[in-house]
Amino acid sequence: MKKLLFIYLAFGLSVAVSQNKQLLYNWEVTPQTLMLNPGALVTNQFHAGIPLASQFHINVGSSGVSVFDIFADDGVDINTKISNTISRLSSRDFFTVNQQLDVLNFGWLSKGLEPMYFSGGMYQELDAIAYFPKDIAILAWEGNREYIGKAYDFNDISARADLLTVYHFGVNKQVSKKLTAGVRLKLYSSLISVSSTRNKGAFKTTVREGSANIYEHTVTDLDVEVRTSGFISLDGLEQSQVRKKLLGRALLGGNLGIGIDAGITYQFDNELSLTASVLDLGAIFHTKDTELYKAKGDYTLDGIELIFPELENGEPTIPYYDNLEDDITREIPVDTLNTGYTQLRPTKINAALHYDFGRFVGDNGGCNCKNNGTKQKRVSQAGVQYYSIFRPRGLQLAGTLYYTRRFGNTLSIKTTYTLDSYSAKNIGAGMFLNIAGVNLFLAADNLLQMSNLAKANSVSLQVGLNYILN
Amino acid sequence: MDLKTAKLFFLLTSMLLCVSCFDGTDFDQANEVVLTPEIELDLIYFNLEASNFYDYANNTEVLVVEDTTDLDFLGGSDINDILKGADFFFKFTNSIARGFNVSFDFLSQDNVSKYLMQTTVAPGSEDNPVVSYFVQSLDELQIKELTKAKKVLVTVTIPSSSQDLTGVLNLQSKTTYYLQIEQ
Repeated sequence: MKKLLFIYLAFGLSVAVSQNKQLLYNWEVTPQTLMLNPGALVTNQFHAGIPLASQFHINVGSSGVSVFDIFADDGVDINTKISNTISRLSSRDFFTVNQQLDVLNFGWLSKGLEPMYFSGGMYQELDAIAYFPKDIAILAWEGNREYIGKAYDFNDISARADLLTVYHFGVNKQVSKKLTAGVRLKLYSSLISVSSTRNKGAFKTTVREGSANIYEHTVTDLDVEVRTSGFISLDGLEQSQVRKKLLGRALLGGNLGIGIDAGITYQFDNELSLTASVLDLGAIFHTKDTELYKAKGDYTLDGIELIFPELENGEPTIPYYDNLEDDITREIPVDTLNTGYTQLRPTKINAALHYDFGRFVGDNGGCNCKNNGTKQKRVSQAGVQYYSIFRPRGLQLAGTLYYTRRFGNTLSIKTTYTLDSYSAKNIGAGMFLNIAGVNLFLAADNLLQMSNLAKANSVSLQVGLNYILN
Repeated sequence: MDLKTAKLFFLLTSMLLCVSCFDGTDFDQANEVVLTPEIELDLIYFNLEASNFYDYANNTEVLVVEDTTDLDFLGGSDINDILKGADFFFKFTNSIARGFNVSFDFLSQDNVSKYLMQTTVAPGSEDNPVVSYFVQSLDELQIKELTKAKKVLVTVTIPSSSQDLTGVLNLQSKTTYYLQIEQ
């Protein structure tokens, strides 16, 4: 059976595609529940994630467009579909990719006068977000001919991508019968980072009475910046050297950062409880291998003015074009800097209210004495969850209603309905299987779109394999 | 071990994984994506005083004045590949009591003519400046020739002049570039 589990997991990993882990939050899956809330109620004595398989998570999402919108085999010209999509999307629409791979995850209950559950490990994360640069897309797709007088806003350019490893160690303690609290320290090691999120200025082509030429092309209050870290030292290296360098950075050789997770569980009574957590409250300090590109200034272009100078034989003409290029370079200089910078991590907040009901799981119906006096689980739990993440343009929010049903100690199923930036009809489900302490979980959302992923705005599927000793 | 539960788990997860697919899509359409931006851009402008057409030092007419500017952006191979057409638009406002012949000769780096545009400008007066327009649309073949040029020689010819001649010949111009960018 265990062999079968491994084969099944490998298959699952190969097809798994899926930020908000609403299905894993406050569920049976100990390592991941603790990663989402360091103050979660822990009922086991030990856990060990199977290295590289304890959790794989990937989320691909787009808030305003699906693959189907563009690539539907419907006889409509793809360029028409792209035009329609550009018109429909706004600069607040975004595309995200978030992937995590647990390399190591372990935890143990430290018994004594003050029992505490310690947990630690290391995971790799890729996180990218790009807002739709609507104005720039219109300029590239259609040009300025039909948009005389329109200001193309450089603020529309906002994107960020980070590849990093995270080393973490947390402690979880039942403070009182009602309150469990936990905290996790994180050490980030950035492999590669690129971002351009604080841009401003506008480009406009206008017709103005009294202007020197037919149009005035103006760049106003331009201030754009691209920050990179970890790229320049990779330039010109062979693939094997790049791999070696990235591996070194993964092993704390990159730009380092520090962060903290914290969370609580508050048990009002036997049925009602509250959980809340804040994750990745921290920053990465990019001090080496950085390159920043900055362009700042104002300029008005109205073509080239000829002045018809009287030239002696052989005298060169006025270098109008070179002068124009020099003017633009002087007024809007592009600087390349190697200064360090600090980048905040995208902080996430989870909160939820849970209600347990139904009969108790198992036979004994009483107190689970290994569990420091906490009550035994009931077969059903329902609740409401809140999730938010700080992104370059502010908070992204999600709300979830969920129901969890336990079938003995072997199987637990969780279903969710989530309302978020991607969809108003996101139904998710997760299954957790426990076979002799070996725990396999699989969770996916947007199930209504599963039959045709092309129509989904986001897809989320998480799998993991852990050993848990109760 | 509860075999029924395990079977249920595998059945449900198999359904989840196996039914997932990309239906009714054709990703080969990506090869048909073509960007066709139309760019409006100022070209050149000038204000030629009537006095430019008379040599006061030698008391002689100056019937031809000319000037040249590089247009480096035209001659690049990148623009050559994607430029499918262009409309050149010239607006003359003449308050000089003479008509003019004006030519725009697009030259290679070696001063070989690649494309010549010529027009006439109607005479006007200071009280009543006359506006003349000249539009030249170039198709893909013509634009291929023009993009071999690196500069433009502008020649303004006046049929006759005198020291009493007054007024200004003003030119404003723009180009609409039709680009086609594909894979």
